[in-house]
Amino acid sequence: MTITDTPTTPAPAASRRLSTSKAMVEAIAQEMERDPSVIYLGEDVGAYGGIFSSTTGLLDRFGPDRILDTPISETAFIGLGIGAATEGLRPIVELMFADFLGVCFDQIYNHMAKIHFESGGNVKVPMVLTTAVGGGYSDGAQHSQCLWGTFAHLPGMKVVVPSNPADAKGLMTAAIRDDNPVVYLFHKGVMGLPWMAKNPRSIDVVPEGEYVVPIGKAALAREGKDVTVVTLSLSVHHALDVAEKLAGDGIDVEVLDLRSLVPLDREAILTSVAKTGRLVVVDEDYQSFGLSGEVVATVADRDPTLLKAPVQRVAVPDVPIPYAHVLEYAVLPRPERIEEAVRRVVGG
Amino acid sequence: MTEVPFPGLSTENPDSEGVVSTWFVGEGESVAADQLLAEVQVDKVAAEVLAPVAGVVRLLVEEEAVVKQGEPIAHID
Repeated sequence: MTITDTPTTPAPAASRRLSTSKAMVEAIAQEMERDPSVIYLGEDVGAYGGIFSSTTGLLDRFGPDRILDTPISETAFIGLGIGAATEGLRPIVELMFADFLGVCFDQIYNHMAKIHFESGGNVKVPMVLTTAVGGGYSDGAQHSQCLWGTFAHLPGMKVVVPSNPADAKGLMTAAIRDDNPVVYLFHKGVMGLPWMAKNPRSIDVVPEGEYVVPIGKAALAREGKDVTVVTLSLSVHHALDVAEKLAGDGIDVEVLDLRSLVPLDREAILTSVAKTGRLVVVDEDYQSFGLSGEVVATVADRDPTLLKAPVQRVAVPDVPIPYAHVLEYAVLPRPERIEEAVRRVVGG
Repeated sequence: MTEVPFPGLSTENPDSEGVVSTWFVGEGESVAADQLLAEVQVDKVAAEVLAPVAGVVRLLVEEEAVVKQGEPIAHID
């Protein structure tokens, strides 16, 4: 008998990839399966599946008692979520755009964020407030803001901002399980939506089953030795693109993805800056009185001698986001501005 | 070999064309049955395409390619 060995190379198994929006939905669905007290409510989150696909398919799976379409009355339904949370449910409440916080902010910062403190720790508000942020697609000054610095400024809320599919799943799971109110901000440009500008970094491998990313831990998105770029959300993608380009010029860029604003992983910032001695902060929120200043202050408070060069900040100058595409790109922290800042801080 | 067709999203117009927006798997990778292969769009309606069987996937069209409903977009061997 002759045995002919045919050398076969088995096809590599396709890693399970998801878009950021699908990863977010997977986390919500898994937590709803696990815990009957988890519900989701907001505008167009039912049959429509969320205007940025944050809840696609959940109504079919969990029904209208747990996936609730609300009227356009943010104060009323955020208040409803807070009440439900204090009475033992774990609601996820979607504010369609972060820009709309103006019509419901009393519920958010005076009630959701303060009830635990005001009750002397006796009442918990285990609620997640999800909201879409960010610009770059000509949606104008009232639909393009990030505003995470505003939530983070006010005490009593944790604030998380995933940049990729795996973190979107892991941070959502952590947010739902947290006994504190957590604001979960997702940038429309990282969701992997078929009708938005193509973004290959918004489709990636996502662990199956239970997956938790701890709130308050930054991630080293890229290791480097010459300069630290501290950033978050869609700007992580731009920073990684710039880092890959500059590697060709011998500039080794480290990219730190904050992932959480509250709590802020100050140790990760200091560790990286201690290594590189150079800092660029990239933030799609407004420049003044916000995250970028807080990151710089973190270094200045601890040890300003870590820095070998002045810090560069790449943020939205203090103007409303323009509608005109060219003007909008001029104020956003696009790759060109990030590259210029990195070159300046390395050359200086 | 199993053919994976572009799904019939428009019943009113069976000749409708759409695009493959996103491939979630790579050429020549082995996939499980029901694994997410692609997201496609006709007009503004999006749909997921799952693997009908397990096997090695061969992609027949690139992302953003325009395809008529019912035409094959992949093979699974």
